[in-house]
Amino acid sequence: MDSKYLKSLEPGFDPLTVCEEASRCLLCLDAPCSKACPAGTNPDKFIRSVRFRNFKGAAEIVRENNALGAICARVCPTEKYCQKGCSRSGIDRPIDIGRIQRYITDYEEAVKMEILKAPKDNGKSVGIVGSGPAALQAAVSLRLLGYKVEVYEKENVLGGMLRLIPEYRLPDRVVDHEIKRIEDLGVKFHKGVFVGKDKSLDDLKKAHDAVLLAPGYSYGKMLQLFEGHKNVVLAVDFLREVKAKKGGVKVPNNVLVVGGGDVAMDVNATMKLLGVEHVTDVVYEQFVEFKASKKELEGAQRLGVTIIDGYVPVSFDGKKAKFAHRVIKSELEIEADLVVLAVGQYPDVSGLGVELVKGEVNEGADYHTKDPKVFVCGDIAHSRFDKTVVGGVRTGKEVALYIDASLGGK
Amino acid sequence: MIKKDLSIEFLGVHFENPFCLSSSPVGNCYDMCKKAYEVGWGGVVFKTIGPKSYVIDEVSPRFDKLNKENTPFVGFKNMEQIAEHSLEENLRDLRRLKKEFPNKVLIASIMGNDEQTWEDLARMVDEAGADMIELNFSCPQMTSHAMGSDVGTNPELCKKYCQAVKRGSKLPMMAKMTPNITDMVPCAVACLEGGADGIAAINTIKSICNIDLDKKIGLPIVDGKSAISGYSGKAVKPVALRFIQQMRQDPRLKDLQVSGIGGIETWEDAAEFILVGASTLQVTTGIMQYGYRIVEDMKNGLMHYMEEQGVDHLSELVGLANKNIIPAENLNRDYIVRPDIDLNKCVKCGRCYISCYDGGHQAIEWDAEKREPSCNTDKCVGCLLCGHVCPVGAIKPGKISIKPGRKTKAEDVRL
Repeated sequence: MDSKYLKSLEPGFDPLTVCEEASRCLLCLDAPCSKACPAGTNPDKFIRSVRFRNFKGAAEIVRENNALGAICARVCPTEKYCQKGCSRSGIDRPIDIGRIQRYITDYEEAVKMEILKAPKDNGKSVGIVGSGPAALQAAVSLRLLGYKVEVYEKENVLGGMLRLIPEYRLPDRVVDHEIKRIEDLGVKFHKGVFVGKDKSLDDLKKAHDAVLLAPGYSYGKMLQLFEGHKNVVLAVDFLREVKAKKGGVKVPNNVLVVGGGDVAMDVNATMKLLGVEHVTDVVYEQFVEFKASKKELEGAQRLGVTIIDGYVPVSFDGKKAKFAHRVIKSELEIEADLVVLAVGQYPDVSGLGVELVKGEVNEGADYHTKDPKVFVCGDIAHSRFDKTVVGGVRTGKEVALYIDASLGGK
Repeated sequence: MIKKDLSIEFLGVHFENPFCLSSSPVGNCYDMCKKAYEVGWGGVVFKTIGPKSYVIDEVSPRFDKLNKENTPFVGFKNMEQIAEHSLEENLRDLRRLKKEFPNKVLIASIMGNDEQTWEDLARMVDEAGADMIELNFSCPQMTSHAMGSDVGTNPELCKKYCQAVKRGSKLPMMAKMTPNITDMVPCAVACLEGGADGIAAINTIKSICNIDLDKKIGLPIVDGKSAISGYSGKAVKPVALRFIQQMRQDPRLKDLQVSGIGGIETWEDAAEFILVGASTLQVTTGIMQYGYRIVEDMKNGLMHYMEEQGVDHLSELVGLANKNIIPAENLNRDYIVRPDIDLNKCVKCGRCYISCYDGGHQAIEWDAEKREPSCNTDKCVGCLLCGHVCPVGAIKPGKISIKPGRKTKAEDVRL
């Protein structure tokens, strides 16, 4: 086991440095950070609270806006959202908002604050399929509106995709703690229940006033070229296993990664932190059109991953992979002991009574389906935000309002 | 979001929370006070209203600030006098504010230039609907010596003008005191004798903030010259706390009701003023730098503090520190507490060594090889300057030693 994988790549702030960072904030009038958060959090307010030494108030602002505040603080691509328009950039560099939020949520945990409190039950209940970020946020938002909430998770571990974000970025204990908080609010979790197999959608519809589908993109895509070869693994399976085994997996010394999204970057960095000497990542997109968060891309490069952009795989013989450049005349041949494919994910909605178009349910406006009792959120719901944790949180918050409107509130 | 009752009674008036604008540029007109109320301030002390005959004529520019390293606004210098609007406009604004915000506290600050004008102003602001009157005995930059801080250093004038205001109105009244005086107590006593119900402290301190080195003129420069004027902000907090403590401790001012002023911008500052005996709090400089919004974190933070302290009413906290601040000659001088250096936290900058050598007793030793400080207990007098300069808080009070022949037991010492 390599302990590097288990250790946080980025140190957190301490009481001194968080105040220094908050003091850099210009406390601007129409704070761009607060307009940009998909979760609807207002960093300008919590940074101001830190600035004026009101740490508990800061924790309230984060938590009341985001049931996964401690998780988002660690994994959110802040450079795309809150930090993007930061006025401080006009002087030097944006405020490190993610890390301030991380300090605040760590503080919340350290002093054992219980910020969210469920109101009296309103007598209605919602069943949620899946326990990823969107489902967890929806569970909390619904609970805070007085609904009884039961969550059905097909795996024996809760959290969905949160369980494959590498430990050095998102420790399991943080996820555990957030879920514990949600359990304490009264949300009931059923593990190992595959809705569509173990239990039917009709069962859920009978048991609840509304059903929310949030299955997520949990399965990795395979490329035909690589299919059937023994030394080819899918990124999501690999990341899930490494995390579950706390880094205790065997990897060869020469790994080829295919893909250029955040999942690919996680594989890249994980490989390096596990001690793999040669990690080569070949990416379809060119750097200018890159999908991965800049922070994660730079992180992988800093760790020594070789990233080659603009190439498509053309053949694979079980050992040697050939790539061709998409625009210029150029070929690439890489021999590797292991190939990890990070070329996208898809959901399994069989038995859930919905049809997908381009991976999304498009049967009614927004979060509705053809069935008035059934709603969707998370990856399979259409949203203007990326399919990230914070994007999921957004859909979870919004769908709760739709469900509440449809069930007539209290 | 935590919900706690922040309300408090002060001079018989109910405040929904103790936070008020102080009489200054931040409460200069209806629009400003309206916004402040809406943002959540419990009360407003409207900018001082003067006699009709006294024409306000301000300089431009009129502010300056003291910086230290990269921290601006350590202190703030201000040359504004009292409200520049006409008496009619001010009274109209008071009326409108009281009508639209009946549950918020409206305090009229007034400043006369003789007994008759004090009495007349009191009557007029009373009629306009003020809940309370503040007597401004303390503005240090008035252009008339019959007004402002020259009055506040003269007990006879303080008493006489309080009596005049009492003739004009039966509203509760507090006198706003100047810190430009060695001892505030005689003037405060005179105010109470004259009929004041409480004291507001402190107004600004006479100051010169900075001097332009090329032009050899103080700042701000007004046509090639400058003048001494009032200093405020975080830097004056220690001075304010001291004056309030001294008044609250004087037997002639027992249970004095105080509105605390001086550098308040966080809930911690507010709590400190409450603990030395302030029931309400007034703010200007923090607002000038950051806006009315600072009240949000002051209120929320104070609620959390009440929760931690297990109190349901703010009044339970008022003055709790008074009895623990005693004359220096009564402090226990039997022991020395030496620094405990946490080498795991230490980042090996050597600042403790430098300060101890140059400003202490040469007790911190430096291992040049390991780049590590240690304390020579033979030389250490326990001043703990090292702890104050440590940038990472690695130095804390450590072992207590009793001086030879003293009675105190180390285990009884409360640090």
